[in-house]
Amino acid sequence: MNAIQISKLSKFYGKTQALHEISLAVPAGDFFGFLGPNGAGKTTTIHAMTGLANFQGGDIKVFGNDVIHDYRKTRALIGFVPQEFNFDPYLSAEQILVFEAGYFGLPKKIAKARAAELLEEFELSGHRHLDYRKLSGGMKRRLLIARGLIHQPKVLILDEPTAGVDLELRLKLWDFLKRLNEEGVTIFLTTHYIEEAERLCKRIGVIHHGRMIALDTTAALIDQLGSHVITLRLDRSFEVVPEPILRFGVELVKQGGNMIRFRKDDERISDLFKTIHAQGIGITGIETEKTSLEEIFLEMTKST
Amino acid sequence: MTNLRSDLIGFKSLVEREIIRFTSVFKQTIFPPIISSFLFISVFGLFLGKGIENIQGVSYLTFLVPGLMMMYLIEGSYLNTSTSLFVARWAGHIQEILVTPLSYFEMVAAMLIGGLARSVAEAFGIYLVSLLFTSFPIVHPWAVFYFAILVSLSFSSIGMIIGLLAEEWEHLSILTTFVITPLVYFGGVFHSIDMIPPSLQFLMYLNPTFYMMNGMRYGMLGILDANLLLSALVVFFFFISLFSVTVYMFKTGYKLKK
Repeated sequence: MNAIQISKLSKFYGKTQALHEISLAVPAGDFFGFLGPNGAGKTTTIHAMTGLANFQGGDIKVFGNDVIHDYRKTRALIGFVPQEFNFDPYLSAEQILVFEAGYFGLPKKIAKARAAELLEEFELSGHRHLDYRKLSGGMKRRLLIARGLIHQPKVLILDEPTAGVDLELRLKLWDFLKRLNEEGVTIFLTTHYIEEAERLCKRIGVIHHGRMIALDTTAALIDQLGSHVITLRLDRSFEVVPEPILRFGVELVKQGGNMIRFRKDDERISDLFKTIHAQGIGITGIETEKTSLEEIFLEMTKST
Repeated sequence: MTNLRSDLIGFKSLVEREIIRFTSVFKQTIFPPIISSFLFISVFGLFLGKGIENIQGVSYLTFLVPGLMMMYLIEGSYLNTSTSLFVARWAGHIQEILVTPLSYFEMVAAMLIGGLARSVAEAFGIYLVSLLFTSFPIVHPWAVFYFAILVSLSFSSIGMIIGLLAEEWEHLSILTTFVITPLVYFGGVFHSIDMIPPSLQFLMYLNPTFYMMNGMRYGMLGILDANLLLSALVVFFFFISLFSVTVYMFKTGYKLKK
């Protein structure tokens, strides 16, 4: 069953179309990465799912429930972690969690126990009575995630949860999110950190100018769109690559150096090695490098 | 857990949050109207009122009390919801509520009850202060409840509408300064309709707050400046129309959703 099913979602801001018939499906239990440059439509899509934005075309279903007609059901299933801190300034960290639990219908006793559990998990127990404005940036970020999880949602939607977070906290959050996903929570994550998506997400969707431009498993995306770069260390140096070898698209890593590189092409690689050998050139070393998701992402979203 | 039970918990939580919001700053919310009323009753009621004849058999000081209670019911309820909603939009924590399974009706109703709680606390405080100067039996408690609750909910609705329309802080006070305060003052807080020239009395009949003051005075003192049924109907339809507009604005996400 799909946890999230978006079909032909369109959204306009005045006359400007922000989303162009976006469709995507996130199976239950998936860890889905939603990537795109600033202004691509990531947050707008998330807001449409969570009830924070109206939309003009298409529909969104969460576990089969429509986010407009069955909004109470879908909102009970979703936990939302926004990008910006949006806490009630009159409340303490603990009150923020207990009240949010209450809005989701949790009785006070359960709400308090759940809040205590999350405050402990996110190392905020010692600060639970503090006015949220007195918490550090990292603490506020953890409190945002705790708030999104207070009602034990089936789907957790995170809008750039690690933006501006130091490396240590980021790694902790990654571990936590992985664990949560392993426990069965479907995760829908937008991020600017491609490494984050590459390490965490099973599937990835890329949005650009309000249009979906890629949607696949992370591994397939890298396989299909990425490539291997092979660097060869030769037994002599060159000012220019000899003509027979040049035909294979080879380039010198550094002029006057003894290293050449080329993109892996399974059909021609053995011909290249034969040609190098026929030139009487010896190979003394070989290195392969895979294109990262970041390079693929940059290639796909190059200014269009 | 049944759906009804969890709905009630959600609704109750939001009501509680709204009440904590104004009680946590009670020196700014509850005390000022009580102190102002003490001054009004002392200066106008006790000192100046001695020179004013009884109105329908009631001393001017006593006549003043229901008017002041109604005035602060109106202002307190408006200020509570307009501030609460505007701050929630401004700080963004309205999203905390919008992403929950609360229905739009429940969201609006809970915020209105917050406004009701604050304004009733203020009005009750004013009543207690008035006991330092005068005492009188409450003649028709049902009418006090009816008018206090519907008027408070009506102005709480206006507060929410303005809380949604406002783009800046000063927009909240514009309505108070230019609309609510003049309407309330001319609606009969300090005077009976018989105290103004007959040629201008029609202006009071056009003023909805006149019927609110009238209903409150009937409930507390048993005196009337206008027909009771008409007053009750004006207040009822005033509330229904404003409440409907507020729920509609929430449902459509006006200034709430992008």
